[in-house]
Amino acid sequence: MNLFKAELRRIARRRLTLVFGILLLAGVAGLSIIMASISTKGPSEADLAAAQAQADEWNEQNPDFRDCVEDESYFEQNPNYSWVETDPEYEGMEHREACEYFVGGSRAQDYIWTYTFSFEDEAPFVIIGIVVVTGLVMMMLSSSAIGAEWSSGGMSNLMVWHPNRMRLWGTKLGAALTACAAAVVVLAVLAFGLLLAAAALRGEIGDLDGPWWEETLTYVLRTGVLALGMTVLGASLAMLGRHTAIAGGVIAGYLIIGDLIVQMVSMNLSMKFPERLSLYTWVGAWITGRVELQDWSSMTLESAGDVMVITWGEAGLLLGGIVLLFGVLATWSFQRRDAA
Amino acid sequence: MPPIIEISGLRKTYRRSFRQPHHALDGLDLEVAAGQVHGFLGPNGSGKTTTLRALLGLIRVDGGTMRVFGEEVPHRLPQVVSRIGAVVESPQFFKHFSGRLTLQLLAESAGLPKERVEAVLEQVGLREAAKASVKGYSLGMRQRLAVAQALLKQPQLLILDEPANGLDPAGIHHMRELLQWLAHEQGVTVVVSSHLLSEVQQLCDSMTIVSRGRRIVDGSVADIIAGHSGASLSVRVPDAGALPEAAEALKTAKAGVGAVVERDRLVVTGAPEPAWVTQTLAESGIYLSELVTQTKNLESVFLELTGTAPQPGQTVQIGQSVAVPQAAAQSAPAGAPIEAPVNAAPESGPEAEEAQR
Repeated sequence: MNLFKAELRRIARRRLTLVFGILLLAGVAGLSIIMASISTKGPSEADLAAAQAQADEWNEQNPDFRDCVEDESYFEQNPNYSWVETDPEYEGMEHREACEYFVGGSRAQDYIWTYTFSFEDEAPFVIIGIVVVTGLVMMMLSSSAIGAEWSSGGMSNLMVWHPNRMRLWGTKLGAALTACAAAVVVLAVLAFGLLLAAAALRGEIGDLDGPWWEETLTYVLRTGVLALGMTVLGASLAMLGRHTAIAGGVIAGYLIIGDLIVQMVSMNLSMKFPERLSLYTWVGAWITGRVELQDWSSMTLESAGDVMVITWGEAGLLLGGIVLLFGVLATWSFQRRDAA
Repeated sequence: MPPIIEISGLRKTYRRSFRQPHHALDGLDLEVAAGQVHGFLGPNGSGKTTTLRALLGLIRVDGGTMRVFGEEVPHRLPQVVSRIGAVVESPQFFKHFSGRLTLQLLAESAGLPKERVEAVLEQVGLREAAKASVKGYSLGMRQRLAVAQALLKQPQLLILDEPANGLDPAGIHHMRELLQWLAHEQGVTVVVSSHLLSEVQQLCDSMTIVSRGRRIVDGSVADIIAGHSGASLSVRVPDAGALPEAAEALKTAKAGVGAVVERDRLVVTGAPEPAWVTQTLAESGIYLSELVTQTKNLESVFLELTGTAPQPGQTVQIGQSVAVPQAAAQSAPAGAPIEAPVNAAPESGPEAEEAQR
């Protein structure tokens, strides 16, 4: 327990932790402020009147629209628009509305842009994004914590104090996972609170009923688990390479060229569902619960083509397997290799 | 009382692709008695640091046994590590942490009271610099911090690799007094690996000298030096021109006596005693102005034993030290050196490379 507390303190006292912590908190606060500033509950009467005036002015210069408005039988008598009255959209429309829709008249809303932040619809995705970014940051921090200890000689020092390597590695991983979990919880709760305040002030909260909570918590929980996995992966890579740069290089390399490889494979090989080679696809399936991949080559006029479904369970097995593989390799390496 | 450290037949070979394996330890034996300051000496690449790293469980060995406090290591190291304080190789720390935080984290990890941190900072003279980050520390300050770290646990066995490295004269003096106080007043066993032979001579009670992964000699420092001194006499006469005649007189007076003229003096070896030289030369009509028994210091003994004495116009290469035959190494009594030829083939391997860097 003493070692665990010391490891947590070591992580917390690192300069990189402080810098990334401030950046993440500022990012969440800034995002909420941006949401609040661009969201409105609707245009003012004056804005509406000005937009309507602009629309009217434009319509005056549009002879087709003007003729349509003035002639109730415009669609019936004009052979170019004879199909309109059979269009399902036409049913129930007033004549002026039909002219705006089919002939192309301007409306007030065409000259006014409003965005209303809907907490119910958008907040879950923003929070998921924040948790993913937190996972990436924790991956960097955990790899840096392990890598820096190797390159500074601190690891050898620590091993002289704590010769049981498995206990040392387990404690370090435990501390990194605890730090990651704490960061995810703090940032998710903070984002929830700030976005809720932004929606209450400048947007709309919506109906946060039981199913909404269930779905949102499921998404966020799975993303949180993903962040924990990324933390273990970062630490394991640094333990294997014994340097932060090696872990960083592997991660950055994949992030940069991962999709490039998928595109090259899909272009050069006649492979079904090449997207399944990309980890992003599996990460997406893990977070959202399900991803459907379409085989465009098998699509015909009669058939929609083959579809591959990846569920969160399958994605969890693959992603968990990758994390487990690197974790086991790192453990074996730490146990067997000399501390140079 | 059983030895605190017992190492027998320790072997460590570094294997690398496309290169000859390097035997860093080749059957090394080492014993350190309790309550002593023990020097662990050897040329660069002779296996000192490898031995200490193996003892502390940092590297795996290929053979041999090691015991600390009677417990077999590295298997039982977790049981005895709380009694061991160690600094291996150049002290390195996380550079953005302060000296105090570095020690606090280690103390916390081992459940030691916070007061120990302040106590050891005071003990090594870092109290004023404790708040500064380590990146601003000089080599000597880092060395002090490393020793402070080793002292945190109030160890019964202190293992220090080059503890005087980077220290100023006052720091070296302080370190010597501290280590001697720990050993002689507190009963701490101190093992010091060092190349500062004059310092070792002043500091250590006993020592082991190793070469190419094997022990050459061990015993008390005084006994080892005494065992290699006193065999030669320096003779001066009022007229330096009479030195060849004096040499001839001594050599003809007794078989086995050697006499060589070196500038304005005569170096005599194999004489039964100084009085015999005085008498023999007087009988030849030569009267002495000076007769000195030449005593060796640890440096000359070390260079002689390890075969690393520099030769005019030649540079001693890493790994160019005596190769001790295995049988000789095992049967050598304490204090008795092992006669072995100098092998001039330079070694390669991690430790040798490290030393070259």
